[in-house]
Amino acid sequence: MPAEEVTEEVSSAAASAVRYENATKRYGDSAEAAVERLNLEVPAGEVCVLVGPSGCGKTTAMRLVNRTVELSEGDVLIGGESVRERDPARLRREIGYVIQEVGLFPHRTIAQNVGTVPQLLGWKKERTRARTAELMELIGLDPELGERYPAQLSGGQQQRVGVARALAADPPVMLMDEPFGAIDPINRERLQNEFLRLQAEIRKTILFVTHDIDEAIKMGDRIAIMRKGGHLAQFATPAELLMAPADEFVEDFVGADRALKRLALIRVSDIDLWEAPLAYVGQPTAEVRAKLRGAEVAYPLLVDSERRPLGWLSERDLAAETVPAQPDSPLGPLLDRDDVMRDALADLLQGEAQYAAVTDHSGRIDGVLSVEIISEFLASPKAKTDENSAVERPHG
Amino acid sequence: MIGSLLPPFLPASIGGAIEFIFEPQSSSVTGGKKVGGFEQVVELTITQLELTLLALAVALVVALPVGLYLGHRGTGELLAIAIGNAGRAIPELALIALMAVVFGVGFQYVTIALAVLGIPPILTNAFVGIRQVDRAPIDAARGMGMTEAEILFRVEMPLAIPTLMAGIRGATIAIVATATIAPLAGVLTLGDFIINRNVYGASGLLAGGILVALLALVLEFSLAALQRALTSKGLKVSAA
Amino acid sequence: MDSRLLSLATVGEVGKSFFHERTSETLPCQAQESKLFCFDWAKENIGSFGMPTLQHLELVVFSVLAGFAIAFVLALLAHRRRWLRAPLLGATGVLYTVPSIAFFFLLLPITGLGRDSVIIALSAYTLQIIYRNTLAGLANVPAAVKDAARGMGLTDRQILWRVELPLATPEIVAGLRIATVSTVAIATLAVLASGGGLGVKIYAGGNLHFATSIIVAGGIAILMAMSFDVILVGIQRLATPWRRTAES
Repeated sequence: MPAEEVTEEVSSAAASAVRYENATKRYGDSAEAAVERLNLEVPAGEVCVLVGPSGCGKTTAMRLVNRTVELSEGDVLIGGESVRERDPARLRREIGYVIQEVGLFPHRTIAQNVGTVPQLLGWKKERTRARTAELMELIGLDPELGERYPAQLSGGQQQRVGVARALAADPPVMLMDEPFGAIDPINRERLQNEFLRLQAEIRKTILFVTHDIDEAIKMGDRIAIMRKGGHLAQFATPAELLMAPADEFVEDFVGADRALKRLALIRVSDIDLWEAPLAYVGQPTAEVRAKLRGAEVAYPLLVDSERRPLGWLSERDLAAETVPAQPDSPLGPLLDRDDVMRDALADLLQGEAQYAAVTDHSGRIDGVLSVEIISEFLASPKAKTDENSAVERPHG
Repeated sequence: MIGSLLPPFLPASIGGAIEFIFEPQSSSVTGGKKVGGFEQVVELTITQLELTLLALAVALVVALPVGLYLGHRGTGELLAIAIGNAGRAIPELALIALMAVVFGVGFQYVTIALAVLGIPPILTNAFVGIRQVDRAPIDAARGMGMTEAEILFRVEMPLAIPTLMAGIRGATIAIVATATIAPLAGVLTLGDFIINRNVYGASGLLAGGILVALLALVLEFSLAALQRALTSKGLKVSAA
Repeated sequence: MDSRLLSLATVGEVGKSFFHERTSETLPCQAQESKLFCFDWAKENIGSFGMPTLQHLELVVFSVLAGFAIAFVLALLAHRRRWLRAPLLGATGVLYTVPSIAFFFLLLPITGLGRDSVIIALSAYTLQIIYRNTLAGLANVPAAVKDAARGMGLTDRQILWRVELPLATPEIVAGLRIATVSTVAIATLAVLASGGGLGVKIYAGGNLHFATSIIVAGGIAILMAMSFDVILVGIQRLATPWRRTAES
């Protein structure tokens, strides 16, 4: 290997920020640009989703970063360094690249595919082999598959190999163009979740292109919605996008069910639940009635000695001397703290219940959820400022 | 019918032909020196092989880079296809004859003529082979940081081997077939048995046919084996 | 002297200055070693090329028709029965690989020299090209189209003739074009097997003819090849009107 190749090793495993500065791409003489004066900054370690209708320039914008499309005007900076000043081939070896069709090399084994960029960078064989094994495990592939050829793998497996291949040289930035687009919905969700788990570990700066707004909301720390003609319509966090769309186009694109979409972003544990007045079997009802006064919840919750909910007590139950073992009303919907708020609301509505008991991991009562609490929360200032990053949000 | 075309005392038969190949005839039709026999066969075969391989080499050197380059760039399709079509229309006999009449007798002139025959299939197939490679691996390769040359040699060519080799095989067969009539231009190959049948007789005629056929088949099988060896295993397997 | 060496001597002139002309009125074109192409001679003697051209046409047409007929049947058979494909491809491949010029003489014990041998040999050559292209054309018919046809109640035979073959026409004709053009070129060698054709104006009786004759003969062959090509393209366009609208 020539000496210059060896020194091309990626020096830092840390992520780098990506900044577009008036980035413009114009093809030929056409009046309308593919990307028009794009200005946005993706902080290091975050996932920025470029989303929009077809023809909006999202893929072109992504490709400006690794110069598979050349800038007409403006600049793109990675970690403060302009991409224009780098030799394109060398630049690309430091950027992970995943495309929709995957593009695995059919004539090379999986291991050889994954090791492509390390080989270009002049890594020693042993190091490449170790890294390949590490990556196969990371993305959940049987290491035995390393000796197979792409044609022998399923679509989902090929997609994973594509991601592993992009990660091989541990690049600070990754570009992903509809990476899960060609997969069926079930496997797509699985791959998305696995990818988020992966990102939680590796924390790369990722530019992710998709046309699916739901995927954008799920995967993105920040979302850049683009309009036809390469214009940036809005660049914001998912919550901001859902609560305060910049204009009619964004509103339409996000969809009419914005409020519901917001509920997918939080868990039950993220909000303050009401306290339930607890009642134990055999407890004097007078004590229970005392608890009820001034309580947020109108009915006492019957729990066992371990504080596990058994059911709701009615007026009739409280008429007796002591708390009966069998409550009048059934427990109804039972929620977990880690449940996604959207699913919790669905359970509440389906059970036609006013309240739902929320338990923790061991089944002990944690609090009570009601539709009122949810709507209060959504209207509160706290909901507007508090935002989990993509990897901390609920995902399956 | 045969008898009316050949001297009656030299019937054509396979037995006679085999005899001709391995044993020198004690007399030729025109009288005089011995003809035929293993030594002569080997000599002429070697000359034909030399011509073929040299012409093939020249054709490869000229056509392969051009075809690969145009295919990789994606330009010059009309030219590449047109050359392929035109090449097929070249009348072999006229080519060799003209070469001989205009430039004269000589190994180098025949080689050039044969190379001209071999260029079109190699060029066209190189172009088409590269063009037909799936775009996704190429896009991925470029995005991962391979230079254009690396893409051509490490991705496009291996994937284009089947079409490429088909072109080379076609060129080789065309060249070896035409090298048969090189004696018209003064270079003695197996075709001498065919062209100068007055000297070699009917047995020689048949022997010539058999030998040329065998030579072509051996070359074809060798190239087929080479193609198999060069084709990546990944292109031959399918989903388990 | 050996007649062979004599002919070599005639051939052995190297024309160094093609453009150096001698007063050509007195010397016939054949004797002017330096002249590449005598237009006058060509004009005067074009008539003598008539018979060879007709013979050549005959050779090509019969060979291609025979080759097509056989290859077509074989391809239809192989299209239905998968197991036939590999052996047939191999068999036709061998026929294709054996140089036609060798083939002319392999038939010597059976059909001897002459037009018949040449036609049989040339047909063998066209076999593989047409077979391969016909089979590929049939295989490339979209499965969805066949499926729809079957679902509408067409029998297998009807599907073949009304759906598969029409859709495979472009590729079949492509094979025909390649085969025909190649055959025109190779048929110049027929003279060596006493088969006639344009080759007689290039080489006859142990001698190469002179440059102008070779050029005219070669030129006619090339023209013939191109004409066939154009005609076949025209036939293909006529037979596939649906493609015309797609291209426009």
